[in-house]
Amino acid sequence: MILDELRLILAEVTRRPELADAPADAPLFGTGIGLDSLSGTLLLREIAHRCGVDVAAEDINLDALASLATLAAFVQARSPTADLG
Amino acid sequence: MTAARQQASRPAAGTVIKCVAWDIDNTLLAGTFIESGTWPPADPEMAAALAELGSRGIVHAIATRNPPAAASYAAQATGARFVAVEAGWGRKSAAIGRILADLGISADALAFVDDDPYERAEVSFALPDVLVLSPEDMTDALGWPEFSPAVITDEARRRSELYLDRKRRQAAERGFGGSRDDFLRYCRTEISIDPASEADVARLHELSVRTHQFNSAGRGATEAAFHAMIGAPGQEVVTVRLRDRFGDDGIVGGCVTEHGEDGIWTVRLLMMSCRAMGRGVIDALLAWLIRSAAGHGARTLEVPSALNARNVPLRLALAAAAFRAPGAGPDPTAAGAADAQPADVNADQGGKSAGGRQVVYRRSLAGPLPELPGWLTGPAGSPRAEPADSLPAGPADSPQASIADGQGARRDP
Repeated sequence: MILDELRLILAEVTRRPELADAPADAPLFGTGIGLDSLSGTLLLREIAHRCGVDVAAEDINLDALASLATLAAFVQARSPTADLG
Repeated sequence: MTAARQQASRPAAGTVIKCVAWDIDNTLLAGTFIESGTWPPADPEMAAALAELGSRGIVHAIATRNPPAAASYAAQATGARFVAVEAGWGRKSAAIGRILADLGISADALAFVDDDPYERAEVSFALPDVLVLSPEDMTDALGWPEFSPAVITDEARRRSELYLDRKRRQAAERGFGGSRDDFLRYCRTEISIDPASEADVARLHELSVRTHQFNSAGRGATEAAFHAMIGAPGQEVVTVRLRDRFGDDGIVGGCVTEHGEDGIWTVRLLMMSCRAMGRGVIDALLAWLIRSAAGHGARTLEVPSALNARNVPLRLALAAAAFRAPGAGPDPTAAGAADAQPADVNADQGGKSAGGRQVVYRRSLAGPLPELPGWLTGPAGSPRAEPADSLPAGPADSPQASIADGQGARRDP
């Protein structure tokens, strides 16, 4: 599942292992997950690398980063390699 | 090897080298390092180049196929300070990649010097944006604009030290258990936003040229432009200083805000050094701007921003602070975005932005405003500043911070 893959990437780039179980609908920005420009840049870089989707180029407002669920849907819709099953 | 400069992939103008990564054998040393043998002396020309570049605020790194002992010896023999050392037997391009990541700089801000044509070719192929030079190129290269910053600020002179502070901070962070905010408190982070004065102009100009990842304009601003903006009616220029228990980074950012009569405040320039990335500075600055504008009755805060592949970190910070670019479609300059729709493109004010287009990020000032972090000190004299003692007490290690709504720096027309 792309969602699980994103959780793992998120846990990795934030160096917070507990985020491997982050709820899909938790906001990525702000309190809670607290994605900032550093962890966000690393996250987008890893997604481009592993899933072949350049979120920053395709989403000027980065609305895809509202939550893990919205990000997974965005990546899944565009990824040439995403596991659709 | 003087043809190195003609590499087609080098950006035309404005690129300054921030770091030079050096090979050791027959480059820094006049011979080959052999662990058990007699160690060769430093190459006098390279030692002179190291010192000269260091005085211009350019930092040094080592990429060598030698044991770490060779790097220690090269530092001693040349008398130079190396902010990153990659000693091992892997590809040089991989070593350079780690140095770039370690320092948080992009490939076009790095030069690589090696006497071995094979190593140069390997790095050029894998990292086309890196400026690849032979030791013989260096004498000439000292006169090239890439190695000649127009002004050398206090921050530039202390740059090696600041990168070494950064390494100690990163090592501490790796071993730290708590959240990012806990770590910033542990570091005794202090961010201070102050009205810019004439004395800050050289550093503001330098930031405008050197910053890319956090630069809304996508191009530099001249010293004359900053002189004109400081004190101009309806405009506010501020500097952002950063320090913590590991060191004093000096001025790491700045911004220029225009106070419109129509309730719209416009941030004409927003910039921050990538060295300050991950330390809460850009979020604190945006929170301060939002509260400052709202405190003066503005309805909307706008940040016109260049869109390019490099300032994604700035866009992330804007998105995190609830800024949106209404109607903006995908970036047509990016690969895979060929079906881009027309977007809310703002006519660029006074020149073409380099390598991209511009959109206007906006944030309504109605509704909840972001909290100012406890480590931010805004300009004093704010009539609406909350008394510091009304704030929740932080951990024992937290900095003494006075929190202001940021109104003091406003220059009323």
